[in-house]
Amino acid sequence: MNTKDKLKTKEEITWCPGCPNYMILEAFKQTVAGFIDTKKCKQSDFAMVTDIGCHAKIFDYLNLSGIYGLHGRSIPTALGISIANPKLKVVAFAGDGAVYSEGMEHFIHAFRYNSNMTLILHDNQSFSLTTGQSTPTSQKGFITKVKPKGEENEPFNPIRIAIACGANFVARTNARDISHMTEVFTKAIEHKGFSFVEVIQDCLIFNLDANNKDKYMYKIEDNYDYEKAKKIAEEFNYNSKEGKIPLGIIFSTLKPTLQEKIK
Amino acid sequence: MRYNILIGGSAGQGINKVSQIMSEILTSYGYFTFNYRDYQSLVRGGHNFNVLNFSDTETASTDFFVDIIVALDNHTEILHRGQLKRGGLILKDETNYTNKNLNLILCGKITKIFGISKDILVQIVKKHFNSKEANEAVLMGYDSEETKFNLKKLKNKLTIMSGSEAVAIGAKKSNLNFFISYPMTPATGVLNEIAKIQNESLKVFQAENEIAVANMALGTSFAGKLTMIGTSGGGFDLMTEAFSLQGISEIPLTVYLASRPGPATGVPTYTSQSDLNVALYAGHGEFARVVCAPGDPIEAIEKTNELLMLSEKYGVLSILLSDKHLAEGEYSENKIDHKLTPIKISRSIPGSKIVKASSYEMNINKNSTEDSLITINNVNSRLGKIKNIELDVSKLVMYKTYGRKKSKNLIIGWGSTKGAIKDSIRDIDAKFLQIIYLSPFSKEIEQEIKKASKVVLIENNATAQLGSLIKQKIGIEIKDKILKYDGRPFFADELNKQIKKMIK
Repeated sequence: MNTKDKLKTKEEITWCPGCPNYMILEAFKQTVAGFIDTKKCKQSDFAMVTDIGCHAKIFDYLNLSGIYGLHGRSIPTALGISIANPKLKVVAFAGDGAVYSEGMEHFIHAFRYNSNMTLILHDNQSFSLTTGQSTPTSQKGFITKVKPKGEENEPFNPIRIAIACGANFVARTNARDISHMTEVFTKAIEHKGFSFVEVIQDCLIFNLDANNKDKYMYKIEDNYDYEKAKKIAEEFNYNSKEGKIPLGIIFSTLKPTLQEKIK
Repeated sequence: MRYNILIGGSAGQGINKVSQIMSEILTSYGYFTFNYRDYQSLVRGGHNFNVLNFSDTETASTDFFVDIIVALDNHTEILHRGQLKRGGLILKDETNYTNKNLNLILCGKITKIFGISKDILVQIVKKHFNSKEANEAVLMGYDSEETKFNLKKLKNKLTIMSGSEAVAIGAKKSNLNFFISYPMTPATGVLNEIAKIQNESLKVFQAENEIAVANMALGTSFAGKLTMIGTSGGGFDLMTEAFSLQGISEIPLTVYLASRPGPATGVPTYTSQSDLNVALYAGHGEFARVVCAPGDPIEAIEKTNELLMLSEKYGVLSILLSDKHLAEGEYSENKIDHKLTPIKISRSIPGSKIVKASSYEMNINKNSTEDSLITINNVNSRLGKIKNIELDVSKLVMYKTYGRKKSKNLIIGWGSTKGAIKDSIRDIDAKFLQIIYLSPFSKEIEQEIKKASKVVLIENNATAQLGSLIKQKIGIEIKDKILKYDGRPFFADELNKQIKKMIK
């Protein structure tokens, strides 16, 4: 049996047909298999924490240790695992609704703590499992059952927030590009400290207006410059499809990890 | 013999130092002490006072009426004059409260009044302030008074311990790995105490809020570390959803809850037993839990160990219920080395095996399911363990009785009221039943209550929450209640009169 097959479970996948989550799952399996096949770690050395939302179903489809946590709380739960056993490769999966609404305090503090773990944030600019409400990254004007006149607020720019909070590693990737995702996930997991990866993802059922941004996307070279990172973060504002959407390592630096600080 | 010394002043004047030094002097002389701290939520100014009780027999309470008032400011005398017993003394400084070592001068005075030797005074003050000025101040106080009570040196070997220190000792001796918390009075004491004794295998982590605390703790515990969290009412409320996650995932978790008067911010630096109900019921869904309320530091050491053990063994939520009075009360205890069983973690943990825990119902492969039969089986399994927990806990001390064991008058209480109840019934024909485990609830309590002809319930809350639990568990409604809910603990002299009125 090849490594990727060992990562599979027997569960029936209940994402919508064509959902980009299938591709995120595939890229993540390739990432983990890469670590295992190159003998960097064993399958049991991974621990995932998932939030609540469509993205979180990945928990059932991966044969890895972990906690299927509470809505908005995947970051602190994963942080707990990462300080309890620094040898584990800890990955939190979360959605834009969960983390930027309910769990924003954990997101902000995660950059300050800089625990050695990775956050993979599936951003489809919509609460989809709860049937299509707006999230803090939904575009202004997004019409939902809750907001028949359209979302009245401007979206957050989480990349900008991350950089402002002293992020150690910030990246963006595209759920339609398995090889780019695999490359970015691998770099994020290998990076020492808290690594934040935003995955831009369409939802085929809700918030269709936000979909199909691929043609605005372009790949950047890995960036280590803070001032440049701030500029890259501004290029996409989540509100419109105008402008470009940079993909890649937006900022990478090395700061003391929580594990080193509390030793 | 039983004396009470009230030491009052404004925040920042060093009244805690006076009771600390005096407690040390008195315990080293073999006397039992108990110190009650009454302070406001401020850093400078206001009015704070301590009441230091000491006795030649065990004490764990103070009285409302005092023998000596030690006034560090003018205000103290005005506010507390009415509490002074006939023939009592007021000690103050003749220099119009300007001496910066006034608290030490007053320590000197008290020591001399009780006829304790100068050597002990000098030696103990030196431990706190090793300076010429401090030494001069205590001697100035000592030499300015006459001895009024000649205390004999007693042979008791005593040490001073707060409830917070006790929980820290219990946790460390159990081999705790993580204490995660967010500061909140009166729970902060344990956070501070464990922070002092941190080492490579015991870490304190202050998280961004209590929601993070509880979720992080499930993470550390899942990864194989013995974990405890601490909070007070408001923070406990924030943790509630994670308790429910504990309930379904069965990841071991022990919570230290030090209560204070609510609702909301209430009277934040005072005491209350009004959080028994949230301890018993917090968290949505139905799941097992253990709730235990120690009544003094020694019990706090033992019960911390028991709860950590039960959580680890059964994957159950356990709540160690304390309050401001127990957490910050300073008790004298016999010097003994409390031998506890360190807790070993033998379950599967990530890193060696693939382990999955979930907030959803799980199937046999540890993945989510919505199947009706599996749901029923899971619920039955989670609730079924309550029987095993009950059996295990029945082998532990779930309640204690004191006083006249054959008396038909039964006083029932729990938690920090233990000290005042025990001290108040010495001259009363009554038996005191202290309920320690609230969940599970001892089946023997029904017999204890049925044996009595008069039952009086004493609680530091307004709605008799233990009374409701007793009614729910054994169908007996206790009509005679002494309830206090002004944020202050029971005073032994006050309680003595109230109990006598009820059982005359």
